[in-house]
Amino acid sequence: MFESLPARFRDYDLKADVRTLLLLRRSIERGLIKTLGDMYNVLRGIIVKDPEDMGPYTKAYYAYFLNIDIENGESLHDAIVRSETFRNWREDYLKRHPDLDIDLEELVNRFLDEVHLTTYDIKEIISGRELFDKNDADQPDDDGGNLQEAARKHLEKMADYSDIPLEELLERLEKIRDQQKTNHSGGSHWVGTGGISPYGHGGAARDGIRVGGTGGGKMARMVMGDRKYFPVDMDSIINDNNVDAALASLKGIIEESPYDKLDVDTTIKEGLKRGGLFLPEMKNVEDKKLQVILLIDNGGYSMDPYIITIRELFKKMKTRFAHDLETYYFHNTIYDRVFSDVRRSKPVFIDRFLKKDPNYKVFIIGDASMAPYELNKQSLRTYLKIKKKFKKTVWLNPEPKRYWHHTFTLNIIKQTIDMFPLTPKGIEEAVQEMNRRGNNY
Amino acid sequence: MADKTYWTGSDKYHCDKDLAQVFHISRTLGMPLLIEGEPGTGKTELPIQYARDLGLELFVYPVGSKSNVEQFVASFDHVKYLRDSQVEILNAQREEKGLASKLTTGGRQTENMSDYVVKGPAVNAFLSPNSVLLIDEIDKAPREFPNDLLYALSHRKFILPESGEEISVSEENMPAIVITSNREQELPTAFKGRCIYHYIHFPEADVMRDIIQKHFPQIENKIVDVALDVFYHLRNIGLERAPTTRELLNWLKYIKTYSTEEAIQKIENIEGVGTLIKTQGDLEKIQRHVLRDPDDFKRRSTPN
Repeated sequence: MFESLPARFRDYDLKADVRTLLLLRRSIERGLIKTLGDMYNVLRGIIVKDPEDMGPYTKAYYAYFLNIDIENGESLHDAIVRSETFRNWREDYLKRHPDLDIDLEELVNRFLDEVHLTTYDIKEIISGRELFDKNDADQPDDDGGNLQEAARKHLEKMADYSDIPLEELLERLEKIRDQQKTNHSGGSHWVGTGGISPYGHGGAARDGIRVGGTGGGKMARMVMGDRKYFPVDMDSIINDNNVDAALASLKGIIEESPYDKLDVDTTIKEGLKRGGLFLPEMKNVEDKKLQVILLIDNGGYSMDPYIITIRELFKKMKTRFAHDLETYYFHNTIYDRVFSDVRRSKPVFIDRFLKKDPNYKVFIIGDASMAPYELNKQSLRTYLKIKKKFKKTVWLNPEPKRYWHHTFTLNIIKQTIDMFPLTPKGIEEAVQEMNRRGNNY
Repeated sequence: MADKTYWTGSDKYHCDKDLAQVFHISRTLGMPLLIEGEPGTGKTELPIQYARDLGLELFVYPVGSKSNVEQFVASFDHVKYLRDSQVEILNAQREEKGLASKLTTGGRQTENMSDYVVKGPAVNAFLSPNSVLLIDEIDKAPREFPNDLLYALSHRKFILPESGEEISVSEENMPAIVITSNREQELPTAFKGRCIYHYIHFPEADVMRDIIQKHFPQIENKIVDVALDVFYHLRNIGLERAPTTRELLNWLKYIKTYSTEEAIQKIENIEGVGTLIKTQGDLEKIQRHVLRDPDDFKRRSTPN
């Protein structure tokens, strides 16, 4: 059953496989899934492994179980309203409530309530209802009496429900799911109320309960409306949205935290002193200091859009890790000096610059595009010197990689210094390259 | 038989409905629950309060940068073992020389390897049925730690070092395992696959009100109104480190020592801001906000 589930969910870049199915099966076996809302919650616990999976998961769920496709950027409300599933449900619902006068918004709310109704909600309502009735025992009310009876009925039905053999239950779930796609023939087989909910088929009882927009429906709406719950495009130039992802990539250049290591020399020395009783002596391997130099091209209009984000990125890095970060600026290319201020009025000559600790990791950030004559021998020599001095030097280019081959100067520089696109993925690759080069002691 | 009932929080702890359900799911399936979310959203509190409320035994393993699976499961005390075996030789020599006084090994027997096994929280939790095991802040661990846990978590079995003793637990008696993470480092996919995952969303105002009520049942509604308004406003102005539940509760702890009028006055002027704001940059930003347009700020933070 549900054989197609893993593949369909993988289409949304979610991790679903045979294990997902096994866990789903186990959950049904243990009585965790009795309503469609339960299905949403349990599968979420199994499949979602990151807040960024929430958006794709909700989409996949609506597509798979309800046949409701949510387009990119579309709100859940709109997707539901234009779906056939909702049309069928509405027809059915209005048939059941002929004198109902509510607007579309409210109808969608009720639809969501039914979709996301969980066993927990039902139990809560029933226990709440019993409490209420006990307190109000002196005021017999016809309506309340009916409701109480209805609640009892639900409870019984739920108990009945767990007696159904697993295979049959699975089959039923699957069938109901398929029915969303075929033509609706009226009546009781809509997913939320008819089939897998503990209400059983039809009858007045199922209308005795309403959750009131507090459950998963609200969550699903929130998820669809918030970019936070969708994965960041790792290949787009860094901007406010993926600056945090870029930061995560940058973290890679931090060496592992301190750890204990067997100090062989001391162990032997101390052991000999004890007359051959060797006890392990540990030594703490120190964390290496992280030192970063940024060289940013802030001349020319082509770089303007990126500078603030770049500075933001590295500033965030500085607040998160206590270390050495120096920023210098240049215009188009570096000749004999860089500047320590944004307005390029305080020069730092390259000779002095090259006196710095060789352990600095150098990020040069620029589009490397200029008139061919600007990139002269002096400038190229400077790049070579920087590269020779600081082994861990990389170039990050905000220009999309597919345009790189058009620019002459860019290709010249690229041959000197390894160049990566200024995207979270590019930064990750740059960091890997830096680490690969090892330490230059 | 481990507790598999649906737990919805106690009078001390507001358990979000979503979290309560997923916690129940994980216990029913006998799988660890991995909780991620902003700091100060009550991740660690869940297992603690659950254990307290139901009177269950709680084992905690706080993860640090030097954590390893031996500390978590069990380690063998080589130094003690070495000492005791030397003591035995020494005692034999003393006996030979006719000396009566002996050195003691504290009841440990060198033949008995299990005397030297130091049990960690994981083994202790597995040995006491129906207990709760908290692995706190797993993202602080060295990269290999989560992977090392995989075997134990999926087989429900540990093998103790040297003694070779096997500690296993049935699925029925599996302790409720809760793992928390602040997402400072990405956890391995295989590890996450063995857990039921839950991401705690930041609570909305009505939930927050409930949380405050649980902590300070005596507090006046009016104070809570104003404080929540200021609090959510602060969260929305784009601070580097937005204040969280924990900070709000600390702030209210300070505020509530004053009379209602004084308290509201203090909230509006954001006094005791040190409890809410933790970086210099944010502090300056707020001062700028309040100073530049105090009326606007006041208007936002005063209930109608």
